[in-house]
Amino acid sequence: MIDAQRVDFIAVPVQDRERAAKFYEETLGLPRNPNSTETWIEFETGNVTLALVDPPSAGQAFVPLPSGSIVIRVPDVETAKARLQEAGVALIAETWDSGVCNGASFVDSEGNGFAVHHRYAPYSDGTTP
Amino acid sequence: MIDVQRTDFATVVTQDTERAIQFYGETLGLPRNPNSADEWPEFETGNLTLAVCHWAQLGREEFQWEQLGREEFTPSISPIALRVPDVEKARRRLEEAGVQFRGETFDSGVCHLAVFHDPDGNRLILHHRYAPHEDGTKP
Repeated sequence: MIDAQRVDFIAVPVQDRERAAKFYEETLGLPRNPNSTETWIEFETGNVTLALVDPPSAGQAFVPLPSGSIVIRVPDVETAKARLQEAGVALIAETWDSGVCNGASFVDSEGNGFAVHHRYAPYSDGTTP
Repeated sequence: MIDVQRTDFATVVTQDTERAIQFYGETLGLPRNPNSADEWPEFETGNLTLAVCHWAQLGREEFQWEQLGREEFTPSISPIALRVPDVEKARRRLEEAGVQFRGETFDSGVCHLAVFHDPDGNRLILHHRYAPHEDGTKP
């Protein structure tokens, strides 16, 4: 037991920091953390921070996040999917429906898997997301 | 632009779901989402859900692992950073539980970081920012 209080950030590996920053800021429309620096750029998703990291600068190989690694909530999956496709973002799977939620999987400008997601069904205790 | 509202979950890929459940639930002590099924266990960190997913499931239609050029399990080297009140104390507890760390605890000048691995080799960080942000606010 380590008294984990929250997730401070998720590291997102990039091959080109500027290209990735443009993607997260302009294509996804995420606000950039004003405390970011040139070499440590963060974006906010509401509940958790995404931090761009550059593995080669630390002497490590770039390995993209597997598909579905970061799953972001949108009000409507089809609308978000259409906008991302119009922006040229690579769709890697058509919209799925699990019976309680739907979503669509994409890769970011660096090849990292992410998905847009919406849970439409209440939980078994009656609460809704 | 899409209307991003929040991050619903981050996926932790495993080769052994039971072992991962034990690690995230017992070793790290994260509460299990009571609404989560055994084939899709979810753990809560306070602000973000971690969903444990067996890597074989990534071959399903919605994940299409092969399109990302992977045919075998590859652990994530991009860490999820867990905030703890005291990095050294948390590190000692995890080391006593047999958890492997990658190098010494690092002081960035504003925060302490200690990189470790889950049983699948996925990287995680124990993190504590001790310095206020530039605007004077504290984490």
